[in-house]
Amino acid sequence: MSETTKNRLLLVFALLLAAVYLFPLYWMYITALKTGSEMFRTPPSFWPDEPQWSIFPFVFQLKGMNQFLWNSTVIASGSVALIAVLGTGASYVLARYRNVWIDVGLFLVLMLQVLPASLMITPIFVLFTLTGILDFPRTAVILAIAAKSMPFFIVLVRATFMSVPMELEEAALVDGNSRAGAFWSIVLPLARNGILVAAILIFMQAFGEFVYSKSLIQEIELQPSSVGLNAFMGPNTNEWNRIMAFASIYVTPILATFVLLQRRIVSGLTSGALK
Amino acid sequence: MTKQIEFSGVNKHYGAYHALKDINLSIDKGSFVALVGPSGCGKSTLLRSLAGLEKITGGDISIAGEVVTTLPPRRRDVAMVFQSYALYPHMTVEENLTYSLRVHGVSKAERKKAAAEVAVTTGLTGLLHRYPRELSGGQRQRVAMSRAIIRNPKAFLFDEPLSNLDAALRVHMRKEIRALHDRLGATSVYVTHDQIEAMTMADHVVVLRAGVIEQQGRPLDLYDKPANKFVAGFIGSPAMNFLPATVVEGGSVTVDLGNGPFSLTIPVAAPVGAKVLIGIRPEHLTLTASGEGRFDAVVSFAESTGSTTFVTTATTPELMVVETGRRLVATGDRAGLAFSDASVHVFDAETEQRL
Amino acid sequence: MRRLYSSLVDGRGFDLCLIGIPLVFLIVLSGVPLVYNVVMSFQAVDMFSLGSFIRPWVGFDNYRQLISQPEFWPIMGHTATFLAASIAGQFLFGFALALLFWLNFPGASWLRGLFLVSWVMPGLVVGAVWNWLLSGDFGVFNFVLHQLHIISGNVFWRSDPAFALWSVIIANIWLGTSFNMIMLSVGLSSIPDDLYEAAELDGAGALTRFWTITLPMMRSSIGALISLGLIFTLQQFDLFAAITSGGPNNSSNVAQYWAWDLSFKQYDFAKGAAISVIMIVVVMLASVYYVRSTRHEVRG
Repeated sequence: MSETTKNRLLLVFALLLAAVYLFPLYWMYITALKTGSEMFRTPPSFWPDEPQWSIFPFVFQLKGMNQFLWNSTVIASGSVALIAVLGTGASYVLARYRNVWIDVGLFLVLMLQVLPASLMITPIFVLFTLTGILDFPRTAVILAIAAKSMPFFIVLVRATFMSVPMELEEAALVDGNSRAGAFWSIVLPLARNGILVAAILIFMQAFGEFVYSKSLIQEIELQPSSVGLNAFMGPNTNEWNRIMAFASIYVTPILATFVLLQRRIVSGLTSGALK
Repeated sequence: MTKQIEFSGVNKHYGAYHALKDINLSIDKGSFVALVGPSGCGKSTLLRSLAGLEKITGGDISIAGEVVTTLPPRRRDVAMVFQSYALYPHMTVEENLTYSLRVHGVSKAERKKAAAEVAVTTGLTGLLHRYPRELSGGQRQRVAMSRAIIRNPKAFLFDEPLSNLDAALRVHMRKEIRALHDRLGATSVYVTHDQIEAMTMADHVVVLRAGVIEQQGRPLDLYDKPANKFVAGFIGSPAMNFLPATVVEGGSVTVDLGNGPFSLTIPVAAPVGAKVLIGIRPEHLTLTASGEGRFDAVVSFAESTGSTTFVTTATTPELMVVETGRRLVATGDRAGLAFSDASVHVFDAETEQRL
Repeated sequence: MRRLYSSLVDGRGFDLCLIGIPLVFLIVLSGVPLVYNVVMSFQAVDMFSLGSFIRPWVGFDNYRQLISQPEFWPIMGHTATFLAASIAGQFLFGFALALLFWLNFPGASWLRGLFLVSWVMPGLVVGAVWNWLLSGDFGVFNFVLHQLHIISGNVFWRSDPAFALWSVIIANIWLGTSFNMIMLSVGLSSIPDDLYEAAELDGAGALTRFWTITLPMMRSSIGALISLGLIFTLQQFDLFAAITSGGPNNSSNVAQYWAWDLSFKQYDFAKGAAISVIMIVVVMLASVYYVRSTRHEVRG
């Protein structure tokens, strides 16, 4: 068997596997496009008879998704901004030095990274109630997500900073810049890509966050899409085409971003997560 | 001569590790000083302390009469060329060159003018709008140099700037850096592990070992009168031969090179019975017919580069002889070794200091 | 004042400022709740005392009551099953895929990246999709199994107590497989080719090479990944919320969901805190192992 034939066969096999693996995603979109009766047909149809494109604007209107998506965006943007501003500096310091204190700091950061949100939410809820932060529910969720996700950001961005040679910063110092100036004009521009990838990953995470939003936000008009989707799925629902339409609208921007940037995201993820 | 740079009683500790031990060194304005020594000797630490990139833990450093010990790098007005060149990869050559001017608030027009001027002297015209990744190793080296020159600083610091270049380019850049130094009338401090670089480029060589200055002086003084065994062995290539010997009466010594003791008539200023090391450079030993030299030895190895012959003897320790031209000797031949009294260095075997 | 400024711009102050602010932030928003959680687990907390700092101290009562609850041990058992099955499934599928993509045919790296969409999707959407796929009467999963003659009648994945936990496990394996694959791919590609070439010259066949080179060289990656898997799996909450809500009758309930359920559905914050403390200790132990294996990686 020639090398080319072998490669072709492998590619076909891998494509088949990918098709099987990504089938749930396909099924989400297809179900959304089916009519109520076609959805429950046995055997199920793998291509809709008459694609119901109008379901998307309909569900969007029906569930007031613009508000849900807006809230998700506000929460995700706020979290990313807070994490990027605070986490970038911390990652830089943790990358620049190598001593006992840095090891202790890294260890603490890794420890905080592992605390499950559903276990931390009880004390956070009580503390936020006591301090009155809960009166601003979206801010409360942003703070909670920032604390939860910052360690992950730090781990990724620290790997980026480690790849910026120390001499470049030293050269800038000798060239007459201050530490702060050298950080701003030399180190940050060189670490920009890594920071961006980490920020995108955090944004995706925060955009889909559920536990904190569900627990901290009572007002429907402030809830993000994840909570909205959860409320849509009652225990004995039979509106699956609408639910899948909701899920499609919610998830498509994330998927599109990911597919566009996947090479960068994957390399950013792999450079940091195991180091 | 005015002193441009002074180290007085400089110490540097990294935790328990004592990297620089009470360094005193003054550097004249306009001179080219090389700091040389094996890796880990503290030469780079000393240079980085001068630049302000390392904080010293004791003593003082002054530049042009001003004590700079506690000042950050940017207030010291020195320029540095790094081993890795440290060119800013996200800036063009021009932006790299003028970065320091930009930091100091020089206008854009003036920056452009300065970059163009420097580019002419270092042959970078035409490359100003390239990025560092688009340059060859030699060109990057030039950019690193130009970035230092453009500022007219109080001192130029070089941290092994030639070690990433190939041999031919290295020899060429040696001359170029020295010529540049002379033209600018600058004060330069140059760190290298390569003693040939130090000897050929510098006015003043400082030999460091384990954080201590072993000797400093003009290059040929170090070659002619090494202060101790370390400097004697470090300066000169191939390294100096050391013959363990015992002083006997009548101005001579007994030497044992593993084949039984024999005596040599060498005047040594040491008491009878003292253990000494007789140092003779390979280029000061000459081969003669057996029995016609000061002593005989068997050749264990001979190699020739065409212009020079390197002969190793089957003795303990081995001796190295360097002869110009070609000598037809082969392994196993017995030869005599000759040298003049003037070329002999004597060191105390215990303290390794020159006697 | 001047000295403070110059330290902030030029010296130690710059580093301290950069690391100090995030550190304080993390301590206030993660460290304090962590400690407060432990305090709360020893207090009597109800809806009325929620708003006050001072509450009656009850010692280990919350823990005692928690353990004596009939669902405690079953839920712990489910948690263990969920962890073991999820990690094993994600790892094995991930490893198999990583080995396939390691063959490096054209398009491999792009296709490999595409798998990761399962991991970047919001957990709740993954849960919703699998909820529908696993539906008893109309779920396509049952249909496929039926066509493959694996089952004869419909399995009521979400409502049958024997299968409810497994419906979440299946979804979780799907979700995590791609992440495992990507991480294992990195480990595989970091093994230098000349090792394999040397082994081949020494006469080792493909299988021998896998056992004697690939696996030993991957040991620290695998260790890190499995502990990372443990950490991620213990964080998994959204799938439970979206597929079974822990039911029916706690048959798919796990500790991390139970803790939330106690606090936010039954308003028993003290017991919620108690179960959190127990689980956080478990997570911490896992992460110590994770940190140790990654340290090894960095230094090695």
